[in-house]
Amino acid sequence: MFPAQYEDLQIMSHAVIGFPSLEENEKAIAGLAEAGVKLIELQVPFSDPVADGHTLVNACYEALKHGGSVQATLDLATTVCARHPEVTFILMSYLNPLFRYGLQELFEKAAAAGIKGMIVPDWPVEEIEPWLPTLDALGLSPILMVTPNTSAERVEKIAKASRGMIYVVSRMGVTGHETQWGEKFQHYIAEIRKHTDLPLAVGFGVRTVKDLNALTGKAEVAAFCSQYIEWQRDEGSEVAANKMKSIIREIDSLQV
Amino acid sequence: MIRSENGYFGEFGGRFVPEILLPALTELEDLFFALRDDPAFWQEFATLCQEFSGRPTPLTPLRRLSKQLGGAQIWLKREDLNHSGAHKVNNVLGQGLLVQRMGKQRVIAETGAGQHGLATAIMAARLGLDATIYMGAEDIERQYSNVFWMRQLGSDVVGVTTGAQTLKEALDEALRDWAATVETTHYVLGTACGPAPFPELVSYFQSIISDEIKEQSLRQMGRLPDEIVACVGGGSNAMGAFGAFLEIPEVNLVGVEAGGVSLEDGKHSIRLSQNTGETGIAQGYKTLFLQNDDGQLGDTHSIAAGLDYVGVSPILAYLSQQGRVIPESATDDEVTEAFSLLMKTEGIIPALESAHGLAGGFKRARQMKPEQNVVINLSGRGDKDIFTVARAFPQREWTEFLQREAVRSSEALAKKRGH
Repeated sequence: MFPAQYEDLQIMSHAVIGFPSLEENEKAIAGLAEAGVKLIELQVPFSDPVADGHTLVNACYEALKHGGSVQATLDLATTVCARHPEVTFILMSYLNPLFRYGLQELFEKAAAAGIKGMIVPDWPVEEIEPWLPTLDALGLSPILMVTPNTSAERVEKIAKASRGMIYVVSRMGVTGHETQWGEKFQHYIAEIRKHTDLPLAVGFGVRTVKDLNALTGKAEVAAFCSQYIEWQRDEGSEVAANKMKSIIREIDSLQV
Repeated sequence: MIRSENGYFGEFGGRFVPEILLPALTELEDLFFALRDDPAFWQEFATLCQEFSGRPTPLTPLRRLSKQLGGAQIWLKREDLNHSGAHKVNNVLGQGLLVQRMGKQRVIAETGAGQHGLATAIMAARLGLDATIYMGAEDIERQYSNVFWMRQLGSDVVGVTTGAQTLKEALDEALRDWAATVETTHYVLGTACGPAPFPELVSYFQSIISDEIKEQSLRQMGRLPDEIVACVGGGSNAMGAFGAFLEIPEVNLVGVEAGGVSLEDGKHSIRLSQNTGETGIAQGYKTLFLQNDDGQLGDTHSIAAGLDYVGVSPILAYLSQQGRVIPESATDDEVTEAFSLLMKTEGIIPALESAHGLAGGFKRARQMKPEQNVVINLSGRGDKDIFTVARAFPQREWTEFLQREAVRSSEALAKKRGH
């Protein structure tokens, strides 16, 4: 399930469906679960991922050549949700593949597969609001994004439409670059907390143990994605899972 | 001019962007809405277009060609005579006025054929702004002369190497840049696509074309034209040529898309006609996209880099659905034929993009009566296409000249390095 507010920092990691291959996805997810990752995003690859940096853009491009699709994601979700009940799986996608599949049908199938949440970066809150009754009935949580330039009024609106947790974009830009975690960032987090009791998942630029250390006690979830995909790309899923394992151990030891 | 309902034109349009871009789009929309009905602002824009780009552009009768084809009288709206050589500069000058009001110091743009990038580079140089232009690596190869001039003008041209390396990827990359720099940077979107308010805003500035066509037709033909024809890539020159006539049903509006080499997937850029494009949501807006069943945007092809695009203006998707705009297409071969015909019969060198409008317009004019009038929007001039055209009409002298020029260019570089 999603963490409770102020619970210890957990790591959310990532799979791009079809990258490096559909078979490898299953093994990689098993490795992440074994390493102690409790939240995993299953990204539907897309031809035009505008919120992603080059690591995920290239992974999407590769994934599409190796059978990644909405259907492949739902099929994989059915398998991994059953196999790893301790992990909360979140569907991450750009809107068009879901829209083409048919939103109503997609939501029903995703919920039936065991998916608990959804992150769709180009789906604005105004367009999500009419779907909330459907999503609530299915138990599928829309996890909306807040960014450093989002107005207080809009944070309020986004917080109201979000379920499970809120995705806090740590800085301006796209995924896969460094972030500073100074006073300004802490103020930003504090401002968001004024509008919600939901746990906060911080993403964009979480790449090192140092980043994770900086987030302990400030957020409930850290999205450790591009760096993991780079390990997976360069050193294979097994090594990537081992690296995740040691990172999680380190973070957990700090939080005991 | 057509107005959206909350950014939508029927079912098309909207604003589907990552949250981070929302404040900039709202700011731009607020500013645009505050200015668009202000006659003083329009006058400021028209004066700038006059002083800097030589507007109004002429409406040129093609007497010899019309007679030869034996149908309607054909007129060309000469957007090729703009400074920078294409209609793109109209929108860029307009957005330049907005940039000054917002106080931003940097602009970014996507470009296909390079005409929008060139216009942006010109505007940035004139206003003293930093400019970064995103262009697909494939398009850089096709339109190198424009790249050369953008760099000379002081702009940073970034080649985009993801996917098919054309306009679609350049637009994605510009959006990524904007997500990081939105507080200090304005995105000068070049066509009537993308998230609201861009389709409406770009069409507004480009409508200066149809305002002029209207006035010039009354003066030169004694009445309004029977038909207006424009090529359609993203749709900005078409929206510009159609804008003032949308409410006048007697004037037919025809949009000509790139038929490429065949109707096979990836071999054309036809989105409006023949049930090729399907409703989708990407690159910040909802429109007819060429895409597969999984919602992945498809590959496109056209001899003209500026028409080689996977989506289309949501306004044109709506107008075509309503039957107001008639969609047509022209193949690469028909385009080179029309290109050659105009050049040899009337002494005008068109851009390959605009030659699609010519091919479609000539075909339709042939079926019309001599007392009827067709206006074709000649959106740009063909100088930039010299290399592509040289390949379409190969000549030994040209190839030999390029070889000699390559030697001279290498010598100049070696000399510069030696110093």
